[in-house]
Amino acid sequence: MRIVTRVSAVVAALLSLATAAQAQSASIQALATVYTPITVAGNRNLDFGNVFPGVAKTIAIAAPTSGQFQLGGQASGNVNLTFTLPTNLVSGANNLPIGTWTGCTSPTNTTTGCTAFTPSGTATASAFSGAGALWVFVGATVTPAAAQAAGNYAGTVTLTAAYF
Amino acid sequence: MRTCLLLVLLALTVSATAASAQSSVTGVRDLDFGVVIRGVQTTVAPNDPIRSGRFYVQHRLNRQVQVRFTLPTRLTRVGGGGNLNISFAATDAIAQGTAGSSVPVTFNPNNTQTFTLVSSADFYVNLGGRVSPAANQATGDYAGTVTLTCTFF
Repeated sequence: MRIVTRVSAVVAALLSLATAAQAQSASIQALATVYTPITVAGNRNLDFGNVFPGVAKTIAIAAPTSGQFQLGGQASGNVNLTFTLPTNLVSGANNLPIGTWTGCTSPTNTTTGCTAFTPSGTATASAFSGAGALWVFVGATVTPAAAQAAGNYAGTVTLTAAYF
Repeated sequence: MRTCLLLVLLALTVSATAASAQSSVTGVRDLDFGVVIRGVQTTVAPNDPIRSGRFYVQHRLNRQVQVRFTLPTRLTRVGGGGNLNISFAATDAIAQGTAGSSVPVTFNPNNTQTFTLVSSADFYVNLGGRVSPAANQATGDYAGTVTLTCTFF
């Protein structure tokens, strides 16, 4: 009788063990990297000056009238550069074709030793300097027609920068 | 008689061990906000396939599992020097079984939730959230721990 009681108690304990709620834990990390906001300033217009009908004119990135953007951001942060580029400069109802875009990025305000790229609507990967600086230079070619109407032509070049 | 009782005890012991081995919770993916900008709140949705946090829970069909998150209110800057506020809203957690017929259940990760495993014996729990960097937040990497505790019935 005593044996039966003991065994019953053990069986009851095991039954309890078999049906008792069991708790388990697992952990993951919540992660974030805080960067400073990006600033983009159009420092200098891409200026072709006087052009003549039938004569294409190119402004190289190293020219004093190339377009220039100045960016600020997280030191050594990776950044994508995306452009919205005109296909024509406009003067009233007249268009002046523009294309063959060239670009160069530099950690300093100079094109010496800069990194060449082709500006486009597709993102170009670049990076801020260790001081959080980045300059972008832009050149292009305008192609006036032989019968190009005289006038002042303009278009907008937009640079969008985003961390990646 | 003794042999018979011993077999019963052995069978029960094996049964208890098997139940334990079938039930588990595993951390699958970190909740990763990536790069966030000072002064800009950033949200990760629980159904984000890359950035949401994820756990895998395995139990037994037709049994219940109670899930309870232990959530941080701040992430700590790696190397010291600051905290980054993090919060979780009422719809920032989703549980979904692995069976094709399983229906995702959105729930509040701040509250305990109990599920009955009807269509599958295992399921995933996804977690979203939001971080709110201050305008003068110290730049750098921040981290915190999210724990999911499951009680298996």
